[in-house]
Amino acid sequence: MSSLNASLATALSGLMAEQAALNATTNNVANVNTPGYSREVPVMVASDPVVQDPLTFGTGVTLQSIESVRDPILESQIQQETQTQGQLSALVSALSQTQTSFTSSSSDIGTAISNFFDSVNQLSASPADLSLRQGVVTAAGNLATAFNVAANNLTAQRTNLDDSLTQAVGQINQLTGQIAQLNGQISNLENVGENAGTFIDQRTQLIDQLSSLIDVSVIPTDNTLTLTTASGTALVAGVQSFQLSTQPNASGVQQIMAQGSNITSTIVSGQLGGLIAARDQQIPAVQSQLDTLAAGLANAVNGVQTSGYDLSGNKGVNLFSSPPASGAGAAASLTLAITDPSLIAASADGTVGDNGNAEALYALRNQTVVAGQTPTGYYSSIVFNVGNVTANANAEQSASSLVLQQLNDQRSSVSGVSLDQEAANMVQYQQAYAASAQVISTINSMMETVIAMKTS
Amino acid sequence: MRVNPNPLPDLLAALQQNQQQINTDLAEISSGQSVNVPSDNPAAAALLVENADASAATDQFQRSISSISGELQNADSTLNSVVTALQRAISLGVEGASGTLNDSDRQALATEVQGIQSQLLNLANLSYQGKFVFAGTATQTAPYVLDSTSPSGVRYVGNGEANAVTVGDHVSVQTNLPGSQLFSSSGGDMFQAVQDLIASLQTGTGVSGAVGEVTSALNSVSAKRVFYGNTVNQLNSQQTFLSTESTQLASQQNTLGGADLSKVITDLESSQTARQAALEAVAQTQQTNLFNYIK
Repeated sequence: MSSLNASLATALSGLMAEQAALNATTNNVANVNTPGYSREVPVMVASDPVVQDPLTFGTGVTLQSIESVRDPILESQIQQETQTQGQLSALVSALSQTQTSFTSSSSDIGTAISNFFDSVNQLSASPADLSLRQGVVTAAGNLATAFNVAANNLTAQRTNLDDSLTQAVGQINQLTGQIAQLNGQISNLENVGENAGTFIDQRTQLIDQLSSLIDVSVIPTDNTLTLTTASGTALVAGVQSFQLSTQPNASGVQQIMAQGSNITSTIVSGQLGGLIAARDQQIPAVQSQLDTLAAGLANAVNGVQTSGYDLSGNKGVNLFSSPPASGAGAAASLTLAITDPSLIAASADGTVGDNGNAEALYALRNQTVVAGQTPTGYYSSIVFNVGNVTANANAEQSASSLVLQQLNDQRSSVSGVSLDQEAANMVQYQQAYAASAQVISTINSMMETVIAMKTS
Repeated sequence: MRVNPNPLPDLLAALQQNQQQINTDLAEISSGQSVNVPSDNPAAAALLVENADASAATDQFQRSISSISGELQNADSTLNSVVTALQRAISLGVEGASGTLNDSDRQALATEVQGIQSQLLNLANLSYQGKFVFAGTATQTAPYVLDSTSPSGVRYVGNGEANAVTVGDHVSVQTNLPGSQLFSSSGGDMFQAVQDLIASLQTGTGVSGAVGEVTSALNSVSAKRVFYGNTVNQLNSQQTFLSTESTQLASQQNTLGGADLSKVITDLESSQTARQAALEAVAQTQQTNLFNYIK
């Protein structure tokens, strides 16, 4: 047989459950703008019934837990895409800087090549004219300077990328430390059956940040997480985080070290991946093309120059310093070997007024002296390559941004706080609370009736 | 299905994209170029490099042609003076060949022809902007020097070489004729002929023969002189061709890299409209929610 007291207890369980549910709503509303916050929902279940033959009575409601609503698969997709995004952003920003050296201007390499050959053509009409010879020397000097400036810009850029890389490694270490700490807190809470939702949200947020820096694989283990790079280097295992460090290699380029081994080449995504790709692949490729052009052009010019005769009838000497035999560093080290305009070897036979060699020098403009292309042709292919990789990285980044945006939308549709929904929930809980209170009040008056029965 | 309760990040991303488009459009309008950095259009950027070089070369060829033309015209007018001087020598010779003249008359004629001879020497040693133009490629020294041991009275110290200058893709022109071909060819040696005329006038014998020699020297110079006229004509037509090419290159450059202003401005206007709409949307979004209605 049921009792009024039992009903009172049942009504009370309703009051308490609605109150706790309202607490979840309040927390959701408070965190409506918190990045990475997942909305919480109260999980209410009916309490175990009491069986009193032949009847079964319900005993009210139990608030079993407050759960954060999240989709782990979506979150791992977001982390993946964040890695791609981080890599492409770093690449785009590096390449955009690289291409400024190849943007047409009054002092770019293409213009300098044109000006040099123009000055040679002008000299060819009056091969003994000193001021025209000076014009050739000046144009050649400007050409060497244009190569130096472009090569130095690329080198400076690589140095800057090195600095960014060191900073990124610092950020990664900080994040992995925080994640390891959160891992400890989460497993402590979960071991005693508590909801660690807020800590998990924070950890997810940190893993997102980490993903923008380096490629991360997330391996869930009991109540905790293990993080490794895509190639398997451990970053966090439970409460333990593993620091990365940087160390310059023989040529002074920063390498990323994990527990004593060099993992630089294994990092392909995240900001680090982008920085490394730009520093170790894209920019060196441009540098080497620039060196090929500088060496090819300088060797060809020197070859013609030394087969002719200068204004004094002496055998010509190199116009440019001899580029290194391997070609590496040719653009950065290109300088004029002569400054005296009379040393320009315009004559093919030693006669002062002959222009045969100036013509031969001019002919280089249309000769395939640089890796099977004309000097300007080769330069234009460098411009194409630089523009093309930049445009591709730009396009990929835009596409990846869209994907990331959509994933975030989806995440928000699952986990985001909707004020409308919270308002509706609040009304619902409030009404249920009021109803339970009314029940208590009714039971109370029933009690009073019972008590009055005895005294009357 | 539950929908994303917070569309603001999407709207902000749209605004940002919009702003980017507006910035790109403004850059195009202010520079007049659609290819401001290579990544704007890599293929066009590469072609623009080649175009700029071809343009520079075309401009340079035109400058070279101007300076070569100046020299050639100068040489041509000098040769005109040579022809006039030789004609005068011929008429003096014809006068001297008539039997009515006495020795002193012929002597006077001989003296006049000697004047012509030194005039011819000056003309053959023409220097233009520091170059002796009839010296072959030995342009730094006067090609004809007086030499009493030589039968013609002068000696050619230039060479027989000629320069050729590139004035277009695969077009090159010869820019000089050496004096040895112009004035001292066998059968047309101008100085020898004039020297012979002077001697014949002085002695009174063989004047007609000497006049014949001068005439054939004159014919030879006139025939060779055609080279200069022809070359100037060739340079003129090359100049015309180059300026047409220059125009074509400029138009190609514009096609490759010039901003299509009407299109860009239309783009800009539609971007601005879109931006306006996105801003309105942001302003309208979630001004109210259910909480506003719960009393």
